[in-house]
Amino acid sequence: MNDMRIVERDVNTQKAKITARGVQVHYGTTHALKDVNVDILANTVTAFIGPSGCGKSTFLRCLNRMNDTVASARVSGEILIDGENIYDKRVDPVQLRAKVGMVFQKPNPFPKSIYDNVAYGPKIHGMTRNKAELDEIVEKALRKAALWNEAKDRLNSPGTGLSGGQQQRLCIARAIATAPEVLLMDEPCSALDPIATAQVEELIDELRASFSVVIVTHSMQQAARVSQRTAFFHLGNLVEYGETGTIFTNPSDPRTESYISGRIG
Amino acid sequence: MQTDPHILRAFDRDLHSVQALVVRMGALVEEAIGKAAQALHGRDDALANSVRREDAAIDALEEQINADCARLIALRQPNAGDLRTVLSVMKVASNLERCGDYAKNLGKRTTVLNQSAPIGGLSASVLRMAGAVQQQLHAALDAYIKRDADLAASVRARDSEIDQIYSALFREILTHMLEDPRTITGCMHLHFIAKNIERVGDHATGIAEQVIYLVTGALPADQRPKGDTTAFETGA
Repeated sequence: MNDMRIVERDVNTQKAKITARGVQVHYGTTHALKDVNVDILANTVTAFIGPSGCGKSTFLRCLNRMNDTVASARVSGEILIDGENIYDKRVDPVQLRAKVGMVFQKPNPFPKSIYDNVAYGPKIHGMTRNKAELDEIVEKALRKAALWNEAKDRLNSPGTGLSGGQQQRLCIARAIATAPEVLLMDEPCSALDPIATAQVEELIDELRASFSVVIVTHSMQQAARVSQRTAFFHLGNLVEYGETGTIFTNPSDPRTESYISGRIG
Repeated sequence: MQTDPHILRAFDRDLHSVQALVVRMGALVEEAIGKAAQALHGRDDALANSVRREDAAIDALEEQINADCARLIALRQPNAGDLRTVLSVMKVASNLERCGDYAKNLGKRTTVLNQSAPIGGLSASVLRMAGAVQQQLHAALDAYIKRDADLAASVRARDSEIDQIYSALFREILTHMLEDPRTITGCMHLHFIAKNIERVGDHATGIAEQVIYLVTGALPADQRPKGDTTAFETGA
């Protein structure tokens, strides 16, 4: 029967991009994340779902050491990307974040031109030798983010002048301009209308060819639409992690079922 | 599967009401099969005709169930157990609709059979078989209402008994035709009746399998036991 599954949904790799082992996070006295163990696959969209305060965003922020910036946060356990512990003292968080890009809930373009928003990352990471190369990177990123056609004639106008959906795609272009290997998205569509949402979802599906995408979303339908793997978090625990189709038709944990079917549980 | 109430109570009301329709449909179908077999055995044209007429109500219920399920999927986007509930409701309704058609067909053939002399004790055998099938259908619907996968599995296992009754009846009908060719027309009708009742048994099994899917998330993987050997009958 498995060979008759819808092909698009296939994940043809079992290669783990990110491996988390015994990850715990405390914010002061609050135990926000309790012993999370998970393998996030390469070239796969993984959705993190769960009620507010369940730890999904906390875990997402562990993956590019964003929690380093929170004074009260303590992270323990191991997170390996391509077998390398990202919490190792020798790892430079700035370099790490070039490799692990992030898109936030609210579009937050820099108060600069569209061009400079995208060019900023490649510039500071010294990825180009001249203007022509930079132009090429900017165009490629904007094309990948499905913004090129709308933005190509106004590259020098401010990024903040774009519509909400365009701004979010600009932030995605900015995130992918540094050629990351992992893209983290924290509720990337919550401020977007359904059309912009569909465009971002289509983009996520395309990005899967080159990146591992991890998306935190409160929309169950969005998780179901875009991801191949789903992880359900509850009260700081990773309750269930599995193939998205299975999670949404026949989850094994009653807490998962309660959550995805909108029950009091 | 989860049975806690939904946070949005209207969702619970929608799910309950569509399932109530299936239960009502099941009751009508059970009754139709029983009445059709009674009409055959009692050579009762009026009863047979009422079964034929009442099938329209069963068909209308199926249509309503399909429309309600389409709405439910569109408006509520059910997941997990809720999704399996909606899918199984549609399948069970379609099984029941077929059973209703078979009962109606029994009614039609009964009115034809009533125009000639009864053939041996065949109608009593059909009545017994119909009784057994009705019990199966009742148990399958009971398992559905109670979400009882064990009861459903036992319904599934018992279908071979119906098949055996049908095989015996098949040979009985053959014997009558061989002994007296004038009974062939009546025997042909009786054979279709027997086959239709056997098919109702298969639909009861289908419903039982939906219960197993609904509760466990997977259809039973094993082949169910079969007792119908008539496909290999050579008449020798």
